[in-house]
Parts: sequence; C-alpha cells; structure tokens
Amino acid sequence: MSRQVELQEVIRQLRQAVPEVTGVMVASTDGLSLASDLPEAEAARTAAMAATALGLGKRIAQTSALGGLEEVVVRGQSGYLVVYSAGEKGVLAVGAPMGANLGLIHLEARQAAQKIAQILG
Amino acid sequence: MRPLKLVVSGPVGAGKTTFIGSLSEIPVVETDELASEDIGKERTTVALDFGLLTLDGVPIHLFGTPGQERFDFVWDILVEGALGLVLLVAGDNPRDFPKARHILEYLTSRHPVPFVVGVTRQDLPRVWTPEDVADYFGLPHEQVVGLNATSPTSSVLALIRMLELVTGEKWQGVW
Repeated sequence: MSRQVELQEVIRQLRQAVPEVTGVMVASTDGLSLASDLPEAEAARTAAMAATALGLGKRIAQTSALGGLEEVVVRGQSGYLVVYSAGEKGVLAVGAPMGANLGLIHLEARQAAQKIAQILG
Repeated sequence: MRPLKLVVSGPVGAGKTTFIGSLSEIPVVETDELASEDIGKERTTVALDFGLLTLDGVPIHLFGTPGQERFDFVWDILVEGALGLVLLVAGDNPRDFPKARHILEYLTSRHPVPFVVGVTRQDLPRVWTPEDVADYFGLPHEQVVGLNATSPTSSVLALIRMLELVTGEKWQGVW
C-alpha cells in the first residue's frame, strides 16, 4: 500500500470514530500536506499553519518546562482546530465544531497520530 | 530604552537562523523542524527565530522568518511593528534572487520598512558581490552589504549598517 493510501485510511478511521470531526490534515513537520480530506486550496494553507502552530507549541512547551507537548488547541467562537505531533516527521490537525467532545477527539487523534508516526517512519 | 524590532527574512537557506544565532546574546528561540524537501540541509524554520542583543545600550529584538512561501502568513505576523528589515540572500545561489525579490516586495508592500539586503557566504571563493547583487535588485550600493552569517563580527557589522539606515545616523562606535 502506498503511503498516501495508508494515511487516507487512518484519516477515514478517525472520522469514523469521531463523526463530528469536520476535517483532518496530515502534514510534514515543515508544512507540506501529505494526506487530507480538505479541499486542495485549503489543504496547502492548513498544512503550513498547522506545522507552524505545532513547531511553536513544541518550543513553548520546552522553554517553559511544560514537559512533552500534547497538543495545540486553537479555539474559535465557531469551532476548533487541534494540532498533534505525529512522530518526528508528522503533524496531525483535526477540525471540530463548537461543543465538540474534545476528550474523545484527543483519545482518537493520539492513536491516529501514533499510526501516522509509524507510517512516516 | 525601547527595544528596536528588526526582522530577518529571505529565501530558504540564505542564513537567517545562522545570522541571528551569530548575533544573539541569549540562546536563540528557534523553531526548526525536519525538512521533507531537499533544501540542502536537514532542518528548516517553521515559525520564527527570536534573538536578543544590545548594541551601545540599545536593546535589539531580532525576529527571523521561515523562508518558504507557504509560510507567508508568518511573514505578515512577524513584520508587524518592525522598524527595519534585513533581507538575506545567499551569494552563491543566484537562482533564489527572484524569490528574495518576491519576499521583499511582499513585505515592503504591506509594511513599508527601511531595509538592507545582506549577501551571505562572502567567505566562499566564488560568490556574488554585494555590488553585483545591488545592481541585480536595482538598489543603491549602500543598501546592500556582504557578510558571513557564521561570523559574529561580520554579522554585527551588517546589523550596524541596517541600524544606520533605520536611524539615519552614522554609527559613532569605535572600529
């Protein structure tokens, strides 16, 4: 199975586990889209921003002695974008509506992130 | 005394993170991640670099940007409130000059700031001179300086030229 296909399968499983998720992006740590279910124009922009947010989050966690970064949560009045580290090379970004069950999202997304980390090697 | 905010930008691999590293009195706050593309090095800035130095009692805050165009939203954020811009170009990579020009136009069209162009890699034997780069960009020669970003001395001299442009005053320090 190609890497793209494997990543798309992880995305599909994540969305199945948490139906309220509005979009999923798997990006490289330097901001390139690897797989997602977002429209193409949105995908490129989201990949770069997620990588920036995660990179900054990792640095803040390290500099402020917070321990390992768990996730970066951007909460807007209409919804969320949550960004997780997926191994050394990967970034997982998950969109969710306002009122979403973040606990469930964290649980499922972290499992997805681990699978992504293995796929990216 | 109010700190001077300077932004360091330029194409990937121009030497931005290195330049700030050479200047900063504190450990640089870097946001380097593994590069998935072949850019000639292992890691690349994805958010910003932050460094601090004091020159003649003036605190200077240095903000380095990522080089890839996909991070242009970060350029916008970082150049906000900047008093000056150092645009670095690698003197041994003229293929990236158009990218540098694009970054310059992008930044100065949104936030008109004084800028100086720094041509890095001057320590290499075959490299574009600042004068040739000035002519390429159509800039006065005083606005383009050559430097070796790995050298603190060379980097400080380039920074002084930037400050002279920003303040409009000649540096009164000792050479």
